[in-house]
Amino acid sequence: MNMAQANAQTEVKTNQVLLEVRDLNKNFGGLKAITDVNLDLPAGIITTLVGPNGAGKTTLFNMITGHLTPSSGTIHWQGEPLGGVAPWRIARKGIARTFQDLRLFNHMTVEQNIQTVMERSCWLWQSLPSAMAEKLEQVLEETGLAAKRHERAIDLAYAERKFLSLARIMAVDATLWLLDEPASGLDPRSFDRFVALLKEYAHRDVTICIIEHNLDIVIRLSDTVAFLDQGKILAQGSSEDILKDPHLAAIYFGDR
Amino acid sequence: MLAYIQNIIVLFSINAILALTLNFIMGYAGIFSLAHAIFFGIGAYTAAFVALNYTDSLLLCMLAAMGVSATISMALALPALRVRGEYFVAASLGLQMIGVTIFSEWKSVTGGLGGMVGIPPPVLFGYTFTTTSDFLMLAAAILGGILIVTALLVHGSFGRSLMALRDSESAAQAYGKSVNAVKTLSVAVSAGLAALGGVLYAFYMSFVNVEVFTLDMSILLMAMVIIGGTGTLLGPVVGAAIVMALPAALTYVPYIPASQLGTIQQIIYGSAMVLLMMYRPGGLVGRRKKGGAT
Repeated sequence: MNMAQANAQTEVKTNQVLLEVRDLNKNFGGLKAITDVNLDLPAGIITTLVGPNGAGKTTLFNMITGHLTPSSGTIHWQGEPLGGVAPWRIARKGIARTFQDLRLFNHMTVEQNIQTVMERSCWLWQSLPSAMAEKLEQVLEETGLAAKRHERAIDLAYAERKFLSLARIMAVDATLWLLDEPASGLDPRSFDRFVALLKEYAHRDVTICIIEHNLDIVIRLSDTVAFLDQGKILAQGSSEDILKDPHLAAIYFGDR
Repeated sequence: MLAYIQNIIVLFSINAILALTLNFIMGYAGIFSLAHAIFFGIGAYTAAFVALNYTDSLLLCMLAAMGVSATISMALALPALRVRGEYFVAASLGLQMIGVTIFSEWKSVTGGLGGMVGIPPPVLFGYTFTTTSDFLMLAAAILGGILIVTALLVHGSFGRSLMALRDSESAAQAYGKSVNAVKTLSVAVSAGLAALGGVLYAFYMSFVNVEVFTLDMSILLMAMVIIGGTGTLLGPVVGAAIVMALPAALTYVPYIPASQLGTIQQIIYGSAMVLLMMYRPGGLVGRRKKGGAT
């Protein structure tokens, strides 16, 4: 096999669609939260979901992770349908997420928060294999939480809680990360560290999909941006294309 | 006097076993059950039934009691998996009521309201437990064993899964924890171990009837856990000691007519719970309200 062929093959592999959402709908009673959404998340690509509050971004995440059941439509993960699969099984397939309201394990220590997500099964006395213990240390270092490892999540400062939320997802070796407003409310310094970490992990073969209102993060991180409003994807493209579109800007900034 | 103290310690151990096992689901898994006395009862009745009809081997009676109790606890796990919070408390209350009815009505097995009498002393490796000090030893051994098992469980991966579930069910699921498996297992472990308290009680009293397995007992156990400290290892043991010492201590207080002891006891329990909730929600052994370390 020559170099060109080899390159072509890796190319195919990195652009392979990991998650495929087709004709997805979700109704809450009479409210259409998601309408005919189609979305591809290709491997190695950072996709950002933008749009006003209530556009259905988190609802979309909840359906991908199995926390909500779609009213109709399909979601395929590496060719396999996810319909009716329990959230914990979906998690074990390599899809991990953070929550907008963080949902840390508040009364557990920082270390326990990270350790418990690494221990998938609940068997009674399972000590952490040494590879995982190393990973735990690495994650604590990278997120700057090493000094706070024995503090309870509930006692941490806001930015630290954000980093802990990220630490959990970093620790689990997932293929796809779904991040729900991960950087909101961070001060500029923490923000830069945060973005650097995300970029770092994107280079390590993690595919990322982010819901974000912070346009700075959208510009600095995204390979592609999907714009949602009222449950529909109105446009998808590069961050420049989306952010420069006057129609979308009007919806987003409220001049409609 | 010695026998009196020994007796108190045996009864304390039984209560501590029950409080510990209740705390396992209450404090670590966040499952507030008002049916814990039922598993105490199932343990006691099973041991009595096996001892009266088949064998006086302590080991076999314990195994049978744990097995029956853990199996029946699946009936508790079922609603626990479907409803949460206050709805589950109501569901467990229903189970408590059904349990008491079965204990008092299933005469061929439980002896009805009259209960089961003449339970033979248990035998372990050829040794027969008869005196109070024998039972003191046995009770201490079982309590110690359960403390160790609980400590290992809550400090291991299983304990972390339980706490993760308690703190955020959806996040635990999103990180690959099977809520159903963890909850079912925790309820089964708790009920199985609580049954040992029942075994001890049945053999020690050599008599069981439904009176001690009523809702009052379930509430008292919950009080022990809350007063001592939910989600702490030693809290329930401390709670059991305090709740048990109170009636005894009150008899030494002058000017309280004996007929009013019960009422005053209730008032003290009630105010203790309210004060704890306000000033020390973590219980006596638990963390202070603000940050402080244990």
